[in-house]
Amino acid sequence: MSAKRRGGKSQDAGAGRARPVGGRGPEGPLPNAVRPDGPSPDDLAASTGGAAAGSRLGGVFVGGAPLLPDVGATGAPMTAVIAVMSALAALALAGFIAIAAAAERWTDDLEASMTVQVKGADKEEIDGRTLSALSVLEAADGVSGIQVRPPEEAAKLLTPWLGEGASAYLSVPALIDFKVDAAARADLGGLRARLVGASDGLILDDHGVWNDSLRTAARSGQALTFGIFVLVTAAACAIAAFAARAGLAANADVISLLHLVGATDAFIAGEVQKRFLFVSLRGSLIGLAAAAAAIAALTLIVGASGPPEFFLPSFATHPALLAPMLLVPAAISAATSVTARRTVLASLKQDL
Amino acid sequence: MRNADRRGVRNSGRRPMVVAFENIGLTYEDGAEVLRSVNFSLKDGEFRFLTGPSGAGKTSLLKLIYLALKPTKGRLTLFGEDVTDAPRETLPALRRRIGVVFQEFRLLNHLTAFENVSLPMRIAGVNQAHYREDVSELLNWVGLGDRMHAPPQTLSGGEKQRVALARALVSKPDLILADEPTGNVDPEMGEKIMKLFVELNRLGAAVVIATHDIHLVEALGKKSMRLDNGRLVDGVMRGGASSWRAQA
Repeated sequence: MSAKRRGGKSQDAGAGRARPVGGRGPEGPLPNAVRPDGPSPDDLAASTGGAAAGSRLGGVFVGGAPLLPDVGATGAPMTAVIAVMSALAALALAGFIAIAAAAERWTDDLEASMTVQVKGADKEEIDGRTLSALSVLEAADGVSGIQVRPPEEAAKLLTPWLGEGASAYLSVPALIDFKVDAAARADLGGLRARLVGASDGLILDDHGVWNDSLRTAARSGQALTFGIFVLVTAAACAIAAFAARAGLAANADVISLLHLVGATDAFIAGEVQKRFLFVSLRGSLIGLAAAAAAIAALTLIVGASGPPEFFLPSFATHPALLAPMLLVPAAISAATSVTARRTVLASLKQDL
Repeated sequence: MRNADRRGVRNSGRRPMVVAFENIGLTYEDGAEVLRSVNFSLKDGEFRFLTGPSGAGKTSLLKLIYLALKPTKGRLTLFGEDVTDAPRETLPALRRRIGVVFQEFRLLNHLTAFENVSLPMRIAGVNQAHYREDVSELLNWVGLGDRMHAPPQTLSGGEKQRVALARALVSKPDLILADEPTGNVDPEMGEKIMKLFVELNRLGAAVVIATHDIHLVEALGKKSMRLDNGRLVDGVMRGGASSWRAQA
């Protein structure tokens, strides 16, 4: 059987033999600081309500310089990695929010608007049927904003696909756009029946196909962006776990000494958590700033190239939607620091 | 047992065991057997030198006492508790009762002298407001009042030694261990440091000092034990090399 180390990561290590020197002190009467008739540190900690070293967060809230040096995996490289992860997480969250907002606007618009297609063999027939449709719509409750779009206008909508002059050989229907309130939308069957009864060639389009497709697309987009957000946060946690282990290895002598002067595993884990909380907050705030700058630039570019009202989500019109992005530094910092703490505790427990 | 309890016990005449080695053996992972069947005990308030040639096992023996190593054989008792196979969560409380002056100082280079000395207090969870004055007083007393905020790498060997000494004492430990505490200082400073240990012992702390400086051992006339090739030879002695005599 061989000797096992207790509580430390390494054997004694030091700065090497120092040269013998002279100098002052210790001189004079023993100072009060070391006279055994004073209170012990444990007594002081208990009587003054100081953070108990064995407590869960004792290492986090006891003041003073960080006991673990800012070297190795907890330094600038970790800040950079956390910044990149936070930027990606913030962009993913922004995408989630933007898609949600745009989908709500799209579906609201589609649910509120309807179209009647007026088909006919020639212009005269279409005009006659249009008048019949208008009389039904004007008499219906909850219908407003009725606009007749003549066949020429409908033909223009087909130009990108069929080219100029399609109306010359196609019987292009007239379109009647209108808005409905919730009550009228609930009675679509009745409205459709009255239109059919008023004339042949009247088709009510409630945009249901578009609406369902948009909802599905929006849900997919939201799931994708939220999935990216979760994955990026998980990746940040995994990196924090690796970094915490690397930090333990890099600071083995420090941790060994802390153990030997009475530090508990919880205290050391608290110190590591404190380092990661600081590094993660610093990195994630940098990442958030970068993401905000990217979104601002995107908004400007989209704004310059034309109105984004329909197809592209616009943050410019909903700046308050960006507020949840402030949660990214909190989420990343909390996740990484707690992961680091747990990693350290698990690692120290394996070390007799 | 903390300081107040220890004084009470001393006044009542009972002297509990602080350290007890029973047939302790220690073999490192590379197979090197550094301690063989070591038996000794140290009572509360006792002073003991640990002498022997380099490689005799002095540092390893001290490491067993300050719980850096586990014995591979035998039974180790600290402050009345069997710690041979003590669970790790019980070790911090025991270690806080021990002040160690390491042979190589083991100061943290990213902290100042003040912060190094404060370390045991921070670890115990004491608010800085309650120890700032004590730590300053202690550093002044060891002659480092003007180097309080200096990082260790800018200190001389003797200054590092004194910072390490202050760190070991600041928590008023029940047991003080020192591994070659005079190895890096001149004879005058060595004498001062030894007198300090004697004074601390007089006030109640048990003290074990590993040294190969026989002259200091002789000068102080305290009990000593000698390690040779991993074994305690001749039991516990009083005085120097010229007056080794076995004690029952």
